[in-house]
Amino acid sequence: MNLDLTWRLIKGGGRRGLLGTWLTLGAVAVSTALLLFAVAANFAFDARAERGAWRNPVPAASGPAESDAVAIEASRYDYVRDQAIPVVDLAALKQGVPAPPGMPRFPRPGEVWLSPALAELARQLPADQLAKRYPDPEGVLGDEALVHPDELVAVVGHEPDALEMTAPRSDDRIIAKPPVKVSSLAGTPSEDAEAYRALALIASVLMVVPLLVFGGAAARLTVARRDQRLAALRLVGATPGQVVAMTVAEAMIVALAGALAGAAVFALAVPLLAGIEMQGGPWFAGDLFPSPLALAGVLVAVPLLVGLSAVAGLRRVVVSPLGVAKRETPPALRFVRVLALFVVLAVFPLLTRGTGVGIVAVALALAFLCINLVGPWVVGLIGRITARAARGPARLLAGRRLVDDPRSAWRTVSGVALTGFVAGFLGLLSPGVFAGEAAPPQLRVTAPSGQVTQVAEEARERLAAAGVTATVQPSKQAVVAALGSSADAATLDRARTALTGLVPGRTPTTEADDQRSGSEILTDVRVGTIVVLSVSFLVAIASAGITAASSILDRRQTYGLLRLAGTPLEVLDRARRAETLIPLTVMGGGAILVGAFCAVPFMMGQVSTIGLITLGACVVAGFAGVIGAGALSRPLLRSVTADPAPRPD
Amino acid sequence: MNDVLVGRALVKRFGQTVALGGVDITVRAGEAVAIMGPSGSGKSTLLHCLAGIMKPDAGEVHLLGQRIDAMGERKRSALRRTRFGFVFQFGQLLPELPAEENVALPLMLGGVPRPQAVRQAREWFAPLGLHTMESRRPGELSGGQAQRVAIARALVTKPAVVFADEPTGALDQQTGQDTMRLLVEATKHNDASLIVVTHDPNVAAWCDRTVEVRDGRLVSTGVRA
Ligand SMILES: Nc1ncnc2c1ncn2[C@@H]1O[C@H](COP(=O)(O)OP(=O)(O)OP(=O)(O)O)[C@@H](O)[C@H]1O
Ligand SMILES: [Mg+2]
Repeated sequence: MNLDLTWRLIKGGGRRGLLGTWLTLGAVAVSTALLLFAVAANFAFDARAERGAWRNPVPAASGPAESDAVAIEASRYDYVRDQAIPVVDLAALKQGVPAPPGMPRFPRPGEVWLSPALAELARQLPADQLAKRYPDPEGVLGDEALVHPDELVAVVGHEPDALEMTAPRSDDRIIAKPPVKVSSLAGTPSEDAEAYRALALIASVLMVVPLLVFGGAAARLTVARRDQRLAALRLVGATPGQVVAMTVAEAMIVALAGALAGAAVFALAVPLLAGIEMQGGPWFAGDLFPSPLALAGVLVAVPLLVGLSAVAGLRRVVVSPLGVAKRETPPALRFVRVLALFVVLAVFPLLTRGTGVGIVAVALALAFLCINLVGPWVVGLIGRITARAARGPARLLAGRRLVDDPRSAWRTVSGVALTGFVAGFLGLLSPGVFAGEAAPPQLRVTAPSGQVTQVAEEARERLAAAGVTATVQPSKQAVVAALGSSADAATLDRARTALTGLVPGRTPTTEADDQRSGSEILTDVRVGTIVVLSVSFLVAIASAGITAASSILDRRQTYGLLRLAGTPLEVLDRARRAETLIPLTVMGGGAILVGAFCAVPFMMGQVSTIGLITLGACVVAGFAGVIGAGALSRPLLRSVTADPAPRPD
Repeated sequence: MNDVLVGRALVKRFGQTVALGGVDITVRAGEAVAIMGPSGSGKSTLLHCLAGIMKPDAGEVHLLGQRIDAMGERKRSALRRTRFGFVFQFGQLLPELPAEENVALPLMLGGVPRPQAVRQAREWFAPLGLHTMESRRPGELSGGQAQRVAIARALVTKPAVVFADEPTGALDQQTGQDTMRLLVEATKHNDASLIVVTHDPNVAAWCDRTVEVRDGRLVSTGVRA
């Protein structure tokens, strides 16, 4: 019975009621899609970390358990052009060792298995540049062995007593993993993978907070539409319980529809999202789908949250059957909020680059929350100043409105302002490109002690045989082959191929190779920043649009009557614009400064141009988006006020 | 020449509905006219046509000898702002503005500097029995007090005509009477004419005369002694 009434409420809401319903549905769909994205990002990095784990061996416990060891595993990085190739060296210690992930069986000594992308590249490049390093590949690695579809991976089988499996290697994790006995090939996610997971978590928190705010605003939108008619229902004797049940049911039906639409949008966007390169490559589409449980969770949680917001928004109507919201001077927000922000900010200069990630994350989250707390207070303050200083009617209206409801004004701009915080923080941190001097390439490989001259001699011979001109010189513990200024990428790869296996278990690398992992992380941080900022902006602009539309709908009667009494539409419009732009300027600017301030302890060297450009683009995009969203609601204002006899519907 | 507002042969249709079927009406300077009639008879439509809110389909409206129904929306809007005042049933005050700024708003829209506008607005409060209510916001006023603020707002620009559509519709009997008395007295005091749409004969009794609308036509024009 209630559902039936609810359904009629949705349908019978009239054109404007229906508009509110559509706006809510759209807003919920957008937030659900983005929420799924934020959730999926974590699953995606988890999936990558899990699949890459087998290459990061866990040593079998020493002592008697050591006899349980089934294999020896080691890894290192090889390079081709500017891409890294993780090379996994494996040797079985027993018969019937289980197959590693993505392989039908354990590789026999001398066998080479390549990932599909590496096999393909080996076919494309001349053999003396890549293929000769991994001769006669035995097979192709399956997806379960790969972090991402384009990854270049080689697995090489050895005898357990081969030099590759016994000689010492560098244990710097960005260069190699020394051979260890393992009792299983499960491994554990690498430190890098864990770092990515942590960053993904921080990124999704940065995205989810504004999303929740946005969803709440959307829910209030439905309720605002219903206020009047629900009050009428109360007058004819509906019990508060019935009124609440009906409205909440209505909000939740709409939210569920929106959530389903959002899930569909997300599913359609997955192929696009899968193209975003991270850790050197795009994604398996499967990685980006959250688990069915998480999906179900989101689809249940979104309507529930919307329902809760609806209940909160309804309290007023239920309390007073007259439904005439008493608008009183709102209690002033307390200065304590500002103090809280200062306290949190005071912590930041104490942090250093050495501080644990956890503490930094907590401090950041606190700063974020405090900005959100301070927001309404500052907006109220700005409102008082604006109202006091106003000479014309538009400014006066804007200022008074900010004072009247700083929270809702803050909701309009909070998305963009909080994004400003993120942009300020990341903008300052955004690393510049590594200053790679264009020096002629040099391949360097560490030689076993006492064999430096001998290794240098062999390198000289191999390079000569391959037709590569190079000056080979021993240098302390290493052998250095300088390729001369005319060497191009192809020559470099010929030299690499010629020197393959020169020192078992070690790869000759250039300086650029050694910095590759570092610069890859920096690139990824930059890509991640852009993704997070794009999402935040999408949310921010959508919520600015939604709040603009809903504030017009809320005030349509007053706007309409003002218009009848001859108030020019431009004045109302200018007031509305000032109402968002003034707080946006102050809060957005303030948030960028606070974000930048928080970043100072972690800065490396000077501010990078890229960071500043990102920041500038954010500021422009933010303003343009919010102004655009406001402008879009102008026709709505016009149509609402064009009604010659405005009355509550 | 003391005819302030003249409507001639006003016709307004909404699709099939004939809301006004040729109405002639004249309002003289300082006169208070009540428009009565059953629901749906066309009272509000008549008011809207006279006030330049709606364009009639046929007929003319003259304000002090000047034809206003043919003007463009922009001009009519300016006219409403400067020459007319409006009091509606409720909801016309901006909830976030203190009462005095609600009253000052029309002056500011007309370009009066803010301090002067607020000073002029304040002068209205005591005579309307709103002393000490200057800085209260509409939500902190009773319905009757809010209507009195609306009356001040309608009169502050010294309009030629004040239009009121069921100004006491949301008030109880006694408060309605009081508000109506204040509305009539204040408009008279300011040499403005008044056109009030109402259902309540007691409210109409405050006016100089009552015209009755039925099915879009005037049926009687009673002048009270
Ligand atoms: N915007 C409109 N669109 C269509 N029909 C309208 C519109 N406005 C009024 N009408 C119709 O015109 C007729 C006159 O309406 P009007 O609002 O003038 O009546 P009223 O006398 O003011 O009634 P009430 O006392 O109930 O306010 C009615 O039949 C109404 O349905
Ligand atoms: Mg009417």
